[in-house]
Amino acid sequence: MEEKYGGDARPGPGGGLGPVDVPSARLTRYILLLCLTKCLKAVGLFESYDLLKAVHIVQFIFILKLGTAFFMVLFQKPFSSGKPITKHQWIKIFKHAVAGCIISLLWFFGLTLCGPLRTLLLFEHSDIVVISLLSVLFTSSGGGPAKTRGAAFFIIAVICLLLFDNDDLMAKMAEHPEGHHDSALTHMLYTAIAFLGVADHKGGVLLLVLALCCKVGFHTASRKLSIDVGGAKRLQALSQLVSVFLLCPWVIVLSVTTESKVESWFSLIMPFTTVIFFVMILDFYMDSVCSVKMDVSKCARYGSFPIFISALLFGNFWTHPITDQLRAMNRAAHQESTEHVLSGGVVVSAVFFILSANILSSPSKRGQKGTLIGYSPEGTPLYHFMGDAFQHSSQSVPRFIKDSLKQVLEESDSRQIFYFLCLNLLFTFVELFYGVLTNSLGLISDGFHMLFDCSALVMGLFAALMSRWKATRIFSYGYGRIEILSGFINGLFLIVIAFFVFMESVARLIDPPELDTNMLTPVSVGGLIVNLIGICAFSHAHSHGHGASQGNCHSDHGHSHHAHGHGHDHGHSHGFTGGGMNANMRGVFLHVLADTLGSIGVIVSTVLIEQFGWFIADPLCSLFIAVLIFLSVIPLIKDACQVLLLRLPPDHEKELHIALEKIQKIEGLISYRDPHFWRHSASIVAGTIHIQVTSEVLEQRIVQQVTGILKDAGVNNLTIQVEKEAYFQHMSGLSTGFHDVLAMTKQMESLKYCKDGTYIM
Amino acid sequence: MGTIHLFRKPQRSFFGKLLQEFRLVAADRRSWKILLFGAINVLCTGFLLMWCSSTNSIALTAYTYLTIFDLFSLITCLISYWVMMRKPSPVYSFGFERLEVLAVFASTVLAQLGALFILKESAERFLEQPEIHTGRLLVGTFVALSFNLFTMLSIRNKPFAYVSEAASTSWLQEHVADLSRSLCGLIPGLSSIFLPRMNPFVLIDLAGAFALCITYMLIEINNYFAVDTASAIAIALMTFGTMYPMSVYSGKVLLQTTPPHVIGQLDKLIREVSTLDGVLEVRNEHFWTLGFGSLAGSVHVRIRRDANEQMVLAHVSNRLCTLVSTLTVQIFKDDWIRPALSSGPVAPNVLNFSDHHVIPMPLLKNVDERTPVTSTPAKPSSPPPEFSFNTPGKNVSPVILLNTQTRPYSLGLNRGHTPYSSVFSQGLAFPGVGAGQGLRPTFPHIPSRYGINRMGQPRP
Repeated sequence: MEEKYGGDARPGPGGGLGPVDVPSARLTRYILLLCLTKCLKAVGLFESYDLLKAVHIVQFIFILKLGTAFFMVLFQKPFSSGKPITKHQWIKIFKHAVAGCIISLLWFFGLTLCGPLRTLLLFEHSDIVVISLLSVLFTSSGGGPAKTRGAAFFIIAVICLLLFDNDDLMAKMAEHPEGHHDSALTHMLYTAIAFLGVADHKGGVLLLVLALCCKVGFHTASRKLSIDVGGAKRLQALSQLVSVFLLCPWVIVLSVTTESKVESWFSLIMPFTTVIFFVMILDFYMDSVCSVKMDVSKCARYGSFPIFISALLFGNFWTHPITDQLRAMNRAAHQESTEHVLSGGVVVSAVFFILSANILSSPSKRGQKGTLIGYSPEGTPLYHFMGDAFQHSSQSVPRFIKDSLKQVLEESDSRQIFYFLCLNLLFTFVELFYGVLTNSLGLISDGFHMLFDCSALVMGLFAALMSRWKATRIFSYGYGRIEILSGFINGLFLIVIAFFVFMESVARLIDPPELDTNMLTPVSVGGLIVNLIGICAFSHAHSHGHGASQGNCHSDHGHSHHAHGHGHDHGHSHGFTGGGMNANMRGVFLHVLADTLGSIGVIVSTVLIEQFGWFIADPLCSLFIAVLIFLSVIPLIKDACQVLLLRLPPDHEKELHIALEKIQKIEGLISYRDPHFWRHSASIVAGTIHIQVTSEVLEQRIVQQVTGILKDAGVNNLTIQVEKEAYFQHMSGLSTGFHDVLAMTKQMESLKYCKDGTYIM
Repeated sequence: MGTIHLFRKPQRSFFGKLLQEFRLVAADRRSWKILLFGAINVLCTGFLLMWCSSTNSIALTAYTYLTIFDLFSLITCLISYWVMMRKPSPVYSFGFERLEVLAVFASTVLAQLGALFILKESAERFLEQPEIHTGRLLVGTFVALSFNLFTMLSIRNKPFAYVSEAASTSWLQEHVADLSRSLCGLIPGLSSIFLPRMNPFVLIDLAGAFALCITYMLIEINNYFAVDTASAIAIALMTFGTMYPMSVYSGKVLLQTTPPHVIGQLDKLIREVSTLDGVLEVRNEHFWTLGFGSLAGSVHVRIRRDANEQMVLAHVSNRLCTLVSTLTVQIFKDDWIRPALSSGPVAPNVLNFSDHHVIPMPLLKNVDERTPVTSTPAKPSSPPPEFSFNTPGKNVSPVILLNTQTRPYSLGLNRGHTPYSSVFSQGLAFPGVGAGQGLRPTFPHIPSRYGINRMGQPRP
C-alpha cells in the first residue's frame, strides 16, 4: 500500500519535487541483470570458500586484488584519463586501500570460519539497510514501527545464527589443534575468538557482523574521496592497485617461509578468474550501474532477495551431484564434505534476513512526522516539519553525565542512594566477574539477583531526582508526589519479592534439596557487609522512615543497628506518620533491609546446615524472611495508599478538625462545604474549601482569617471560595439548564439561610 | 489485590470489615459473575502453575502471570462496583473514585514486576538451560488463552476498558496496527477488527499464545530448549509494552497531573476567564483528574478592587464548571482594606477579628488609609462597573428589573447608566423558577461587551 503511494503519487506535473520513477518496463532489464549478478556472486563466494581451503587467505586476497586491479586499470585507465591526482589524495587512497584490505581480510576470514552460506546471509547487506538499522538502534528517530520491526528481525536473524544454528561439524572443528594455523595473522584472530569463549562459527558470525559495520562505515567515509578523485570506479581501480602493492611484500614473505599446500597453481587459474569476475568486478560494475539507474532502496531490495535465495539453494546443493558440473571444472578431487550444511536455524534466519532487508531498505517516510499545514496553490499538500533538526539540542555525553552527577550529589537523599548504588553495583560486578572467572553458576546468578535489586535503587534515585524538578503546566503542584509513587512501587516490589521467596520456600519445605554450602558463606557475608553499610547510611538520615518498620523487624543481627538508627532521632516526631515522611527513602530503606535479612538468613541457614545438617533450616529461614519482609512493607504501602487516595492527612487530622471548628465560629460565616484536605507530597498539604458568608461581610477578610487558621493547621496550599447568597443567584442566572437551577436552589436551601423577604424561593 | 483492600482500615476487626464490604458488593447481581470468574481463574491459575512446574517451562510461567493479571483485573472490577456504592467519607473527602485508579495502577505495576522476575529468571536460564518437557505445554497454553479471552470478552471491565482506551498506544499495538494497515489494504473487510487499534489485552494473549506455540513446535522438532527462554523474554517484553502505557496513564492520574488532552480546552477557558471584566490575572491553576475522567481543580483569580467578587466568582465558576466538576475558585484583591464598598459594616468586623494573628497588620494599614478613602470616591475615573446586566438585588423585584437600570451593587456611586437592556432577551420567562427569569443574559453578547469595557479601563 505504501509502495503504491510512493510510486504513483510522486511524479507530479511540476516535476523536480523528488526523484521521478522511470517506467518499470525499462527497469526490468536492470533488475534482471542485478539478480543474475547477485546469483553469480553467490556462486563466486561458494567457489572462493573451496579455494580458501587450499590457498592461504593472504595469498588469496592478494590474487583477488591483483586480478581486480589488472582488469580495472585496463578498463578505467585511471592514469591516462581524468585530472591528475595530488600527493594528498594519494595518501588518502593509501588509507582507503589499507582499510579495504582489512575489511576483505575480515570478510574472507569469516568465510573460512562459518562457510559461504552464512557469510552471504550476514555480509551481503547493502549500506542503506545497515544504516537504517543503526539509526533505529541508536537514535530516537528511527522512522516508525516498521523500521523497528525490521531492526528486530535483523537482530533475531543474527541471534538465530548464533544460538539455533547447530553447525555441528564446525563445533567439532573448534577443537582444532592450535598449531594448525598457517600464519601469525590467522592465529591471532583465532585466539581472539577463542578468548571470547565462543565456538568458531559463532565467532565467525560476530566477525562478519563487525566486518559489515566496518564496510558500511568505509563506504560512507570513502564517498567524499571518490568525488575528489573523480568517480568511484577510478578510486576503486587505484585503491585496488595500491592494495596489491601493500600486500605484495607480505605475500612474498609468506610464500618464502611457508610451503604451499597447492599442488599446481595452474589448475587454480580458472577458479580464481571466476571468483575475481563474479565477486569483485561484475558485482561492482552492476552495483554502480544500478545505483545510477534506480533508487538506492529499490536496488537494495532487488539485490538482497536473489542473493539470499541463491545462497540457500547453493548451500543445499553445492555438494550435490547436480552441481558437479559447476564444480568439476574447478576441482577434480571432489571430496565428501558435509560442513556448513543447511540447518533449521539458518533457514529461519535467512527468512528473517530477507524480511528485514526488505523492510529496512524501504524508503523511510519522513512525511509522516510533518504536520499538514495546508495546500499550495497547485493543490499539493504542504507539511511542516517540527522535526529532528529543532528537537536535538545535542548535549555532549560527558557534559550530560557531569550535569546529572552534580544534580544527584546536590541533595542528601539522592546522594546517599547514589553512593549506595555505586557500592552495590561494584559488589555485583566483582561477584559477576569472579563468577565468570571461576565459572561458578551460583555466583553469577546471585550477581543477577543483585542487579535485579539494584533496579529498585535506580528507581529510588530517579524519583529523588525528579522530585526536585520545577512545577510545570502538567505537574502543577510540582514533582514531589513522585516520591510517594516510587515508594508505593517499591512496596509492591517488595511484596512480590516476599511472595516469590514464600512460594520458593514452601516448595522447598515439601521437597528440601541438598545444598552446596561452601560457596555461599563468603558471598553472603560480603552482601551483608554492603547492606549493613547501606542501612547505616540510610538510617542516619532517615530514622523516622525507619521508625515505621521498627516494630516488625526484629532479627538478631540487625537489632543493634536498629537501635543505632533509633538513637539519632530524638528530635523527630516519628511513628507511622512521622513529620518529614519520605516514602521514597522508606521504600529504598526497606529494600536494603530485605536484602540484609536475606544475607542473614543465608548465613544462619548455612551455619545450621553445616553444624547440624538441618537441611530444612534453609526453607524455614526463607519463610521467616518472607513474612518479615511482608510485614515490614505493610505500613509503607498503607501510608502511600492513603496519600495516593487523597486521604485527610492523618498527622494533621486533629488540628484540621479544630481548625474547622474555629472557622465555623468566624463572625459572618454561615457554613462551609466541601472541605478537602490532602497531602500532595512530603512538603505540600493542599486544601480547598467553600465558605458561605452573610452578604455584609467582606470576602477578603474571611479569606484572610480562614487562610490564617488553616495555615496554622498545616495546610500550605490553600484555595478558599467565599460564597454569598448573591453568588448562588448569579449562578442560577448564568446556568442555562433547568436542572442546574434546581440544584443551585437546593444548595441554597441547604444553607437554611432565611434572612428576609428577599430570599428568593 | 488484597493490598488495596487490605490496608484501608487496618483495625483489629479488619477481616470483619472486609467481609462486610464484600457482602455489600456481593449483594449486587453483576458482581456474582465476576466472583464466578474469579473462582474459575484461581482454579485455572492453580492448574497452570502446576503444569509450569511439571513442564519446567518459563515461557508458560510468563503466560500464567497474564492469567494472574486477569485475576487482578477482576478484582479491580469488583472494586469499581464497590466504589460506585460508596459515598465520600469525611476522611476520604473526594470519595473513593481514586481507588479504582490505584487498583489499575497496582495491577499493571504488579504485572510488570512479574515480567521483571521472568526476565531475571531467564537471564539465569541462559547460563544453564534446563530441559523442558512439552507434555502439558500446549494444553496449558490453550487453557490459559481460552480462559483469558473468555474473561476479557465476557466481562465489561469498566476501569480497564477506560484505561486501555485512554492510554497511549503500546509498541505491540503500534506494530500490529502498522502490519494490519497493509493487510487491510489487501482485504478491506478486516479493517473493522484491526484498524484503529486492537484491544491490548486480547493482543497480548494472542501474541503470548503464538510464542508458546512456536516454542512447542521447535522443542518438539529439534529440542531447541533455548527457545523457551527466548519466548519467555518475548512474552515478558510484550507484557512490559502492554502494561507500561497503562501504568503511566494511571500513575499520572495518581500524581495529580493535568491530563494533556484537556490542556487545550483549559487554556481556552482560562483565556476566556481572564478576559472577563474585572479579572486581572489567573494564577495558581491546579487542575487534575480525580478518578477516570472527572476533573477537579482550584484556581486563584485576582480581580480589580472595585469589581464585584460574587459576580466574578459566579462567572468564573460558570465558565470552568463545564469542564471541571469539582472546582474551587479563590477571589482575591490587592489592597482590599481600602474599601471600595460602603465601609459601614467593615470597621466593627475588623475589631472583632483581632483574636487572630493575621489581623494586626492590615488593621494598622486600615487605620492609616481610612481617611482618604472615605473622603473621595475610590476611582472617580473608572468606567461603569463590569457585569452591568442587572442582577436581582435584595430590594428589587425581578419584574421591574427588566426595564430599569438599577444596579444593586453599584458601589454607592451612581455613575455609568449605560443602557444594557438591549442585551436581555425580554421574553425569557422561566415559568417554574421565578427568580431565574430576568437574570439570564444572552451569552453571545457578553464577550464582546467585556472587550469594549476593558479597552478604556486603566488597571487599578
